Amino acid sequence: MRLGNGLRVVASPDRSAPFVTVGVYYQIGFRLEPRGRSGFAHLFEHMMFQGSENAGKMEHIRLINSSGGLLNGTTNYDITNYFEAVPSNALERVLWLEADRMRALKVDDENLRNQRDVVKEEVRVNVMNQPYGGFPWLDLPPVAFRNWPNAHNFYGDFTDLDAATLDDVRTFFRMFYAPNNAVLLMIGDFDPNEAFSLAKRYFEDVPRGPEPARADISEPPQREERRGEVPEPFGPLAAVAIGYTMPPRGTKDWYTAAVLDRILHGGRAGRVHRRLVLEKQIAVEASGGADLLDTNGPTQMVTRIFPKPEFSTDEAIGAFDGVILELALQGTKAEELDPVKVKIRADYYSMLEGGMGSYMPRFGLMHYLASFALFDGDPDRVNTILDKYLAVTPAEVQSLAQKILVPGNRAIVIRRPVERDAPKGAAR
Amino acid sequence: MSTPAAVSSNRAAVPPLSAERAVAWPKRTVKTLPNGLEVVLAESHTFPKISMELFFRSGNAAVAHTSPGLAEITANVVRTGTASRSSRQIEEDLRRMGGELGTHAGADASAISIAGLAEFSSGLLELLADLARHASFPENEFERERRQRIEELKIERTTPGFLASDRFRRVLFGEHPYAIVAPTEEQVAEYRREQLEDYYRRHYAAANALLIAVGDFAAAAMMEQVEKTFGEWSAPQPEPQFVPSPPRHVGRRVYLVHLPGAVQAQVLAGNLAVTRHDRDWYRTVLANAIYGGAFHSRLVANIREQKGYSYSPRSGLNPLRQHGYFSVHAAVRNEVVAATLAEVFYEMDRMRALAVTPEELESARNYLTGVFSLGIATQDGMLNQLSTQYLDRLPEDYLETYREHIRALTAEDVLSAARRHFDSANAQIVVVGDREQVQEQAALFGHLEVFDVHGKAIELVVS
Repeated sequence: MRLGNGLRVVASPDRSAPFVTVGVYYQIGFRLEPRGRSGFAHLFEHMMFQGSENAGKMEHIRLINSSGGLLNGTTNYDITNYFEAVPSNALERVLWLEADRMRALKVDDENLRNQRDVVKEEVRVNVMNQPYGGFPWLDLPPVAFRNWPNAHNFYGDFTDLDAATLDDVRTFFRMFYAPNNAVLLMIGDFDPNEAFSLAKRYFEDVPRGPEPARADISEPPQREERRGEVPEPFGPLAAVAIGYTMPPRGTKDWYTAAVLDRILHGGRAGRVHRRLVLEKQIAVEASGGADLLDTNGPTQMVTRIFPKPEFSTDEAIGAFDGVILELALQGTKAEELDPVKVKIRADYYSMLEGGMGSYMPRFGLMHYLASFALFDGDPDRVNTILDKYLAVTPAEVQSLAQKILVPGNRAIVIRRPVERDAPKGAAR
Repeated sequence: MSTPAAVSSNRAAVPPLSAERAVAWPKRTVKTLPNGLEVVLAESHTFPKISMELFFRSGNAAVAHTSPGLAEITANVVRTGTASRSSRQIEEDLRRMGGELGTHAGADASAISIAGLAEFSSGLLELLADLARHASFPENEFERERRQRIEELKIERTTPGFLASDRFRRVLFGEHPYAIVAPTEEQVAEYRREQLEDYYRRHYAAANALLIAVGDFAAAAMMEQVEKTFGEWSAPQPEPQFVPSPPRHVGRRVYLVHLPGAVQAQVLAGNLAVTRHDRDWYRTVLANAIYGGAFHSRLVANIREQKGYSYSPRSGLNPLRQHGYFSVHAAVRNEVVAATLAEVFYEMDRMRALAVTPEELESARNYLTGVFSLGIATQDGMLNQLSTQYLDRLPEDYLETYREHIRALTAEDVLSAARRHFDSANAQIVVVGDREQVQEQAALFGHLEVFDVHGKAIELVVS
């Protein structure tokens, strides 16, 4: 359903247990945050919990928790989401809250200062004060890409976070947080007619916004392999990340890429882990994957390798290249591809059912419905995408491997442990 | 009032909750086989999947005094070979059934979990039984896992969260096996393959095991299949062992783990508290939810939403089988270590001194009961809930009565639980950070000892 103000509404009833999961997804992620304001999309996400027209600071959190539910929000490349899982008797209350903050934020300088501090501690705890923090999701983009939207620090430089003002918050909200740039999702225990009429009641009068300005996120063609190094302040091992840029969303190759990814990665049976960790025993860990379904711009399939200290990063990359070359030269056969497809099907069901821990039921279903609705205008693809994967042939995998698994389509980043001074003696 | 105001005041009212729909708790089919294996089955037909977990009621605590971490490495190697399957065969068998396999060991239990497509239920069950009964511990896989574990430990010793809990558990539990959360590199280097086999033979035993399966199957047929697959398996219960009691802690003490170059401090504080069998369990759960166990709790509102010291401060109850503990943690910027500890204890003392408000009480009760019922909406969530009930040998009606227990609690219950189990005056405090940045602040809260990341005491010379 689409409301007069442009808000898309998707409902997926499931009366197996008395819960509902509700999400509002806005088509804005850290790729499109303003220049000079790295990290702003994420900081802004925090501001959406700081109070709206009729629900003050802490009220969103209190009202959801005290209804017996959980809530959160995340910032991604191309989307930012806000979601709640609650007992089904709280559906109306959740819709009221989400509509209230879509209509009008009510935040002040003190909220902004407070959340800037919180975000800095988030960056410290997840990145700056952890071994391999931010590896490789913050390391690869600046090496792999040339266009600022794809290549900047998504968590934000502290100077940029400090520079953010309440005016920035207001402008960003006006531009991107309008109903015509969003989709509302309701999943779980409700009658769909009632749910749609509740959605209408609370969201219909939220005014439509301007058509959001979308920066050009295309990348200039790449010809040579790109390389970079990042110092690792805590961890004792070097770490290697190798990213290949994936085909554009919705193309035939894009579906094939998802299957190719699972041949290479896909756990301990995947070729990369098997070769590097189990057979050659060059690496302590080798794993990877590609987030294809929830991105709508240049995206990489990323392999992470932690070589044992007696092997150089070049030796690890060499072993990885052996795996890649083998796939390109010899391809795959049904006896490998068929079980990979079974696993794809099983993982897809698991993702739809949960997807963010067992306490956020149907998070995955919500996430995919939203992505298909916002990027493809067709949430129903959630029901057909598996068929696309299952139709991929060995020949298609091999020809795609030859096309995209080439040095001119990849970037490599190495986290290199810094030599630390010997521990200082007793305090003076 | 003018019309626009009326509209907006309409809009200003929070919609009430509608009538609650009854929660249908999963029907369990429970049976103890003649060999002692307990089996719990629950049907869930929303997705064509199955999730199973086979628990053994022994873990790292059983070997903490002889060979720390032995249960864990045993679990790691169990999945790498059986009498009839190589490591590669196991992984490929899994993949063709859409399977996901996990093996792990905590303090009190070891477990093999396996999930996959329901159409392959019997194959998954057979693989599970093969791993539980016929693991072969291939020498080369053991050496590979041992080596990986050593490299992992090196990384863990640079991870603030790990360093904090490593020190905290040592302090809290003293000579009790729960003190050890991980082995040293040297201890891992000393493991012998025969020790793993011995641990496996003694503890991966039918009479020591609990199988829980949730999924898209018919329980009666599934039970038959379980009996067929596991019926022959006979292995006795391991002998119970004597364990020393944890120490009694008198007065606050502070333990600083010096992590050179840290740009933030990890704070962890707490005390011994309750297990799930304690008569104070439910009221302490509620007190914890109000103190720091939820997003809308007092501590989060205070040090995150008001003061911006920390991104994710939380408190929690950790009910191990023999002893439980209460703890609160926060990663904070270096300048506010003392300020954070002051608020941590202020909020604890407030819980101990004053009754919570009726609104807080109501809100926390709703939170706990609601979130509890969300747990059954996925197969993994249901398996989690069932494992809590059956692994900890809670009453038959644990799921059905949890919410009644919580709803019956009063502000007095919360106050008494806080007084007994939030032991602010005798809390043990761990701070992980760069000592030059945080030592002075940490020392304000009690007698201070400093350790390096390997657990070695660093001598204090105060000028």
